[in-house]
Amino acid sequence: MSNYFYVSPEQLIKDRAEFAQKGIARGRSMVGAIYDTGVLLVAENPSASLNKISEIYDRIAFAGAGRYNEFDRLREAGIRWADGTGFTYSREDVDARALANYYAQHLGDMFTEGQKPLEVEILVAQLGSKIRPTKLYRVAYEGTISDEPFFAVLGGDAETIRARFAANEERIHPLKETLKNAVDALAGPDRTIPTADLEVGILEDRGTRRTFMRLSDDEVSELLS
Amino acid sequence: MGLPLFDAHADPGPSFFHYAESAGLTTPVSEGNATSPHATTVIAVRYNAGVVMVGDRQATGNYIASRDVRKIEAADRFTAIAISGTAARGIEFIKMAQLSFEHYEKMTDSALSLEGKANYLSPIIQRNNLSSPLIVMPLLAGWDPSHQVGRIFEYDGAGGCYERFDFSTIGSGTPFADSALRLGYRADIDLEGALELGALALYEAGDNDPSTGGPDFVRNIYPMMVTITAEGFRELDAEDVAARFRTINERRTQSGGVAGGTLR
Repeated sequence: MSNYFYVSPEQLIKDRAEFAQKGIARGRSMVGAIYDTGVLLVAENPSASLNKISEIYDRIAFAGAGRYNEFDRLREAGIRWADGTGFTYSREDVDARALANYYAQHLGDMFTEGQKPLEVEILVAQLGSKIRPTKLYRVAYEGTISDEPFFAVLGGDAETIRARFAANEERIHPLKETLKNAVDALAGPDRTIPTADLEVGILEDRGTRRTFMRLSDDEVSELLS
Repeated sequence: MGLPLFDAHADPGPSFFHYAESAGLTTPVSEGNATSPHATTVIAVRYNAGVVMVGDRQATGNYIASRDVRKIEAADRFTAIAISGTAARGIEFIKMAQLSFEHYEKMTDSALSLEGKANYLSPIIQRNNLSSPLIVMPLLAGWDPSHQVGRIFEYDGAGGCYERFDFSTIGSGTPFADSALRLGYRADIDLEGALELGALALYEAGDNDPSTGGPDFVRNIYPMMVTITAEGFRELDAEDVAARFRTINERRTQSGGVAGGTLR
C-alpha cells in the first residue's frame, strides 16, 4: 500500500493554478477585439505556419495562447464539433457560446481531474448575425468562461497588455485603429514587433458565407502605416 | 454532442467522413426501398479553358417526384459535384463532399488538391454502393489550380475513380447523351462549342429517356448549366439556358423532331 501525504484542497488548487499560469506565461500573448464592422484577432507569433488563430465555422474564429500542442488539439476538436453540429442540424445552429461552454467544461475537468492542468487559454470569437450577437468568449486554464464586452487578452503578460489596450479603447473603432492599438499594446512602449511576427485574422461580412480571413503581412503593414 | 477529442492513435485527421463515421453522424448502412426517387442525366464536357456541366432537373420514382432538383452543386470555389442514382443518398453525398473539402481546409490551413478530392470520394461511394441498393453515382469536375486545366473524374459503382480527358455522363440518359457527345466532341472544343454540345446531349437524353427531364417550356424550368474555370464555379443565367434550349427546340420542330442530317 502506498502512502499519501495530505494536501489540502486549497493547496492543490493553488499548485495547479501556478503550474498552468507558468506554462501559459512562457508563450506570447494575443489580443481579440471587436471593431466597428467585425472582430479582430492579433497574435504575436514568429512562426508563419504554426497558427494560433484559426477559422472554426462560418462566423466563428478561434485563438489560443500557451502550449501549442494543447490548444491546437482543442482547435481541431472545435472545428469537428462545429462541422458535425452543422451537418446534423443546420449551419445557423452552430453557436459560439455552446462551443465556449464545451471548452470550459473540458478545461475545468482537466484542471481538477487531469494528470496535469492544460497550460492554455482559449478565445472563441463570433461575428454577429440577425440571430446572434457579436461575442468574445475567453476561457481560462481552469475553465472559467468570461464574456468580454469589447476585447480580450490571452497569454503571459495579459494584465499589462489589457491595461495598455484599454487606455486607448474606451469605444469601438474601425479596423485600422483597433489593429494599431492591439499591436501597440502587445509590443509595449519599449519595442516594436516586426510585421512578419504578427498573425492577424478577422471575421467580417464580405457577402460570402465564410467570414474568416487571414491578413497577409502586406495587408497588415498597410493597415499599420 | 460533446467536444470531439481523440487520442493521437485514434485521431481521424482532417477527414470529415472518418470523423463522422467514428462519431456516428453518417447514415447507417442498411437495406432500403429501391423505388425511392432517382436523379438522372448529368453531362460534363472538358474544353480548352475548363469544364462545362449540364444536368436535368427531374427526380423520378414510379412517377415524377420533383421537377426542379439541382443535381450539380459547387463543392467549393473550383469544384463541382453532380449526382445520379438515389436522390436522398445523392444529396447527402453532396453535403458530405462540400463539408469535407471545407473541413480539410480548416483543419490543415491548406486546400485539398483536385486529385485529392477525387480520391477522397472513392471509399464513400464504395461504402454506400456495396452495402445498399440505394446506389449513388457522382461526377466530379473542377479547375485544377496546380496544373491550370479543367479535369473530370467519373466513378464506377464500386467507387473506382477514373479521370476522363474528353467528356463524361452519368444517369439513366447516358446512352443517348453519350452518343451525341461522341459524335460532336472535338479535342479543341471551346466554351461556346462545349455549352452547345452539352445542351444538345442533354436534349437528346430528355427526348429519349423517360426518367430525364428535358427543358420544361410550360413551367419555365430548364436544365442547369455551369462552367468551372480559373475564375471558379459559375452557373449560367436561367434566361441564357432557356434561349439555348429554345433554339434546339425550334430547329427540331422545323425538321419534324429529328436532327435533320447534322448534329444540331
